[in-house]
Amino acid sequence: MANQTVSPGPASAAAVTRPVGKRSVEPILFNTFNALFMLCLVIVTLYPFLNTIVVSFNAGNDTIRGGIYLWPREFTWQNYKAVFASGYIYDAFWVSVARTVLSTLLNLGLTTMLAYTLSRREYVFRKPITLVFILTMYFNAGLIPGYFLMKELHLINTFWVYVIPSMISAFNMIVIRTYIGTIPESLVESAKIDGAGDFKIFVRIIFPLCKPVLATIALFVAVGAWNTWFDAFIYTSSRQELSTMQYELMKLISSSMNANNNPAVAAGAGITQEAAQSMVTPISIRAAVTVVASVPILLVYPFMQKYFVVGLNVGSVKE
Amino acid sequence: MDQTLKEDRAVRKPRKVKKITWSLIKDQSQLIYMSVPLLAYIILFAYVPIWGWTMAFQDYKPARDFSEQKWVGFKHFEFLFKDDSFLQVLRNTLAMSVINLILGFTTAIILALLLNEIKKVFWKRTVQTISYLPHFLSWIIVTGIVATSLASDGIINDLLMKLHLINEPIQWLSEGKYFWGIVGASHVWKEVGWNTIIYLAAMASIDPALYEAADIDGASRYRKMFHVTLPGIKSTIVILLIMQVGHILEAGFEIQYLLGNGLIVDWSQTIDIFVLKYGLAQGNYSLATAAGIFKTVVSVTLLLIANGVAKRLGEERLL
Amino acid sequence: MGGKKRSVFRLSLMLLLSLGLVLSACGGNNKEAAKSGNNEQVSGENSENGVEPFEISVFIGEAGQQPTPDNKIYKLIKEKTGASFKFEFLAGDIDQKLGVMIAGGDYPDMMTDNQKLKAAGAFIPLEDLIEEHAPNLKKHYEKYWNMMRDPNDNHIYTLPNYGVYNSDPDSTWYSGPAFWIQKDVLAEAGYPRVKTLDQYFDLIKEYKEKHPDIDGTPTIGFEILNYDWRNWGLFNAPQHLIGHPNDGGVVVKDGVAEIFADKDYAKRYYQKLNEMNAAGVVDKETFTQNYDQYMAKISSGAVLGMFDQHWNFQSAEDALTTQKRFERQYVGLPLVYDESIRDHYKDRPALNLDNGFGITVNASEEQAIRILKLLDTLIQEDWQKIFTWGIEGEDYIVNEEGRFMKTQEQRDAFTDGTWKLANKADAFYGRAPKMQGKFSDGNSTDAAAQPEEYQAGLEEYDKNFLAQYGFNSYVDFFSEAPENEVAYPAWSVDLVDSSEAKIVNTKQNELSTKYLPKAILAKPDEFESVWNEYVSEIRKLSIKAYEDRINEVLQWRRDTWTVK
Repeated sequence: MANQTVSPGPASAAAVTRPVGKRSVEPILFNTFNALFMLCLVIVTLYPFLNTIVVSFNAGNDTIRGGIYLWPREFTWQNYKAVFASGYIYDAFWVSVARTVLSTLLNLGLTTMLAYTLSRREYVFRKPITLVFILTMYFNAGLIPGYFLMKELHLINTFWVYVIPSMISAFNMIVIRTYIGTIPESLVESAKIDGAGDFKIFVRIIFPLCKPVLATIALFVAVGAWNTWFDAFIYTSSRQELSTMQYELMKLISSSMNANNNPAVAAGAGITQEAAQSMVTPISIRAAVTVVASVPILLVYPFMQKYFVVGLNVGSVKE
Repeated sequence: MDQTLKEDRAVRKPRKVKKITWSLIKDQSQLIYMSVPLLAYIILFAYVPIWGWTMAFQDYKPARDFSEQKWVGFKHFEFLFKDDSFLQVLRNTLAMSVINLILGFTTAIILALLLNEIKKVFWKRTVQTISYLPHFLSWIIVTGIVATSLASDGIINDLLMKLHLINEPIQWLSEGKYFWGIVGASHVWKEVGWNTIIYLAAMASIDPALYEAADIDGASRYRKMFHVTLPGIKSTIVILLIMQVGHILEAGFEIQYLLGNGLIVDWSQTIDIFVLKYGLAQGNYSLATAAGIFKTVVSVTLLLIANGVAKRLGEERLL
Repeated sequence: MGGKKRSVFRLSLMLLLSLGLVLSACGGNNKEAAKSGNNEQVSGENSENGVEPFEISVFIGEAGQQPTPDNKIYKLIKEKTGASFKFEFLAGDIDQKLGVMIAGGDYPDMMTDNQKLKAAGAFIPLEDLIEEHAPNLKKHYEKYWNMMRDPNDNHIYTLPNYGVYNSDPDSTWYSGPAFWIQKDVLAEAGYPRVKTLDQYFDLIKEYKEKHPDIDGTPTIGFEILNYDWRNWGLFNAPQHLIGHPNDGGVVVKDGVAEIFADKDYAKRYYQKLNEMNAAGVVDKETFTQNYDQYMAKISSGAVLGMFDQHWNFQSAEDALTTQKRFERQYVGLPLVYDESIRDHYKDRPALNLDNGFGITVNASEEQAIRILKLLDTLIQEDWQKIFTWGIEGEDYIVNEEGRFMKTQEQRDAFTDGTWKLANKADAFYGRAPKMQGKFSDGNSTDAAAQPEEYQAGLEEYDKNFLAQYGFNSYVDFFSEAPENEVAYPAWSVDLVDSSEAKIVNTKQNELSTKYLPKAILAKPDEFESVWNEYVSEIRKLSIKAYEDRINEVLQWRRDTWTVK
């Protein structure tokens, strides 16, 4: 009896513990490996930014020697003083904020609306319109024709040239459309049966369901709008009050590089001793500029992030 | 539910063949209102400037009116294709682009999968936020760090020496055979975190019920990754892949320009660098336009092929 | 149904709104444009001094920073002449910016010179206007009048900003090309006079063998920088070694320009470098490094020599100054192949052609005259002193002998970029016509070139160093520059965008970038074959098109410039 009761014991224990054992070792292994991997990743990807911050706080003249890694050798605020020395950057900051916010809102609304219509399989113009938009990703008419268009539309030297030409992106549209494709068709169908029109379906059902992808797109658009300086360079450069933050910073970097690096001089033209002697250090200015330019936009991300992680319980909506 | 979907599709198919009738248009008037104005918008901003492609067939001088331009036929295309280095430049562009494509996709997807396995929301967010920091650095900063790391006394050589894998420092940037790999790795370093964003957003839309069901079936972590998560983001992957294939001639120029040197010029020059040198730098807008047209033709062809392949395989398509 | 109607209504409302947005954008622009157009007319009312205020819009084809709104020099100009400037600096690619400006015809009143602008007819001819309205300018440029003419149509479109000298300039500073050598190498060898390339490398080799490390860093014998457009470190030395001045890619022999890249005297230099590489003198990384790495090595104090232009590595030397390692700074040596050749590194400054301001076709005639009159006023000596030295008492002091001097504080201010934005008018002055040489009272037009100023700034180490050679400044290492040939320098010849000459030149540079490093790094017995391949590749190009273009312009210069 005793034997009988005992013998199945280990057997059943083994039967139970084996999978448990497997389950408990494997996740630990995996999680350890994963944590280690993430640690490496964090080190490798944090380093360049950290190094840039460190360089931005190191004396420019000293940075030239190289060898600045994780801690400044000669701490200074000088690089930031140089960045903020001209007062123009403050106005430019607000122009950048305005264009970024406006662009993001317009892009989200219009691109999603378009994506919704092009996700409707029954829509007669679906194919041609999709094609027209997709092709825009693969050609570029060139700078000069583009400039003429803006000139014809009287957008040169206006704020709107930052916003109007880039209200829709084909790439983002496709991404959203793909996402909408994963939303169960039945939601739309049942809404239609209830008599809802496409616009209503879009506003009431699709748009709210797209939150994760919209957060992504908002991030793409905002980062793009914030980081670009090219339109300010081409279209509004003669009006200081329309200058964007990135363009101001771009000017700062180029002028710091130009101070010593003048190709005309390189070819042998006369240069004043003053110009030759003035100390400008492009590396440290560049570092300070990078920090100043990216910190505001980096702050946006954590707000977007909650939409990715929380996710959507589409299943429960379906029920 | 599945039943109705299938039926729905069956009904829809013949509808596509149906002629566009007034009643159909009236039926879909909301879809039309929502998309046709945007179509007009994109035609104005993206297609109207294409008249500029005529430049490729002229010796375009910006100071002259359209009617005064000199027409030269295919001269600029000939210049491109007949140049001895063009094939080499094309090879380099394709090679780096393919490497970037493969590395870019696989690393981003793997990282997204691994991030998805981190259960602590705080850590997940932290790692993700840090991993995309390099995206905000300009190439000039990133290549600066890359060049320093690859120097004789840089961290890479140090590490390899300490591990006794090499006896003396390798001159990484003096040999063409390493260059493509360095470019690919630099791209991954800079963009991998950023590229995961879109996949993480896609993962957020996966129905949690699927995971629950898998759990009940006793599926392992890997099974869930391969049978729930990956299929859940497959449509996003395929769509992005198709779009990226169309950009195969865009290997960029900044990194190659900044890291390249005379010893490896046969591996580092891309189409874009060639066009910069012989187009823009020479005031030859026509050549730049001709190169642009060539790239567009290749892009659209590849895009259609990729789309066709996806269709054959029964995958999500772009068009 | 009701819902549907409402949504249609909402949709049309939205469309209407977005349409309104676009329209208002356009309307807004028109208003703005009208406003900015009016700016000049507002200037009707006279200010207290009786000068009429007017604004000049200026595009500067180089990067730069806006002066502060209360900049003291611009304020003074405004007060005295009524003129204020609205500057736009280039930040980005000049070809792109000029492309759209030319296509759109959107020019400000005044722009810095560029071949593309001249080719597009963006500037107005100035010669008659100067004769009529600007006597001081006319006098300033008198000797150079014909040189300023455009080779294509003989008009004067722009006013060169440098190179008009009223006397031999004080020269205490050399910023041009040379073989540079660390001061300690010379000091340790007992301050020898180094004339030839061989002597130079012998010294470096010897020093390197004796000191394999400098303050813990492995010693580097010789650096050759060839990064992006900074390619002269590799390309330019051969012409100097045979006693020619810097003509860019050609050597002008008996009035005829020819490339030197494939000549035997070039080969001699590169073979020497090949030898030095085999001997471990040349830095292994020299051809893979970028500019920042090059600068880091120089400022580490471990580099013994390089061929470069002084201004290019200036900030690395400044870093050595802050470390007080004066013995690790450099002396420029005008090396030649053998002692019989007279060195010609230092040259007489030539007129800085294709540089300086021009007035665009968009400026009204009235505005053009106002601008010229302004430039005419500002070329006068009192203004020139303000531009270079600053305001007396504030920025410099005058001693009993009437010599201009600065206190240390004033000197430091002049190197502070932020201070300059508020207290100097460099954005304008850098591109404007200017007096160079000496003022009528004998003071130097360049504050830093004033001999007393130079001596005052000299370190003890350098005083001793120069004394060993019996020199006053490091410029004395160079031979006095002979009179320039009329057509000098050939590097300022415009090759004309996308012409065969320019394309050939680009290709030749590509070949040099590719083959010269290969040749230098080759095993000594393989040098010959790499060199031959290089030469045969060059000969495949139609170099003649390039040389012809240069000779054509040089001949044109000789024909027009000599006529007084």
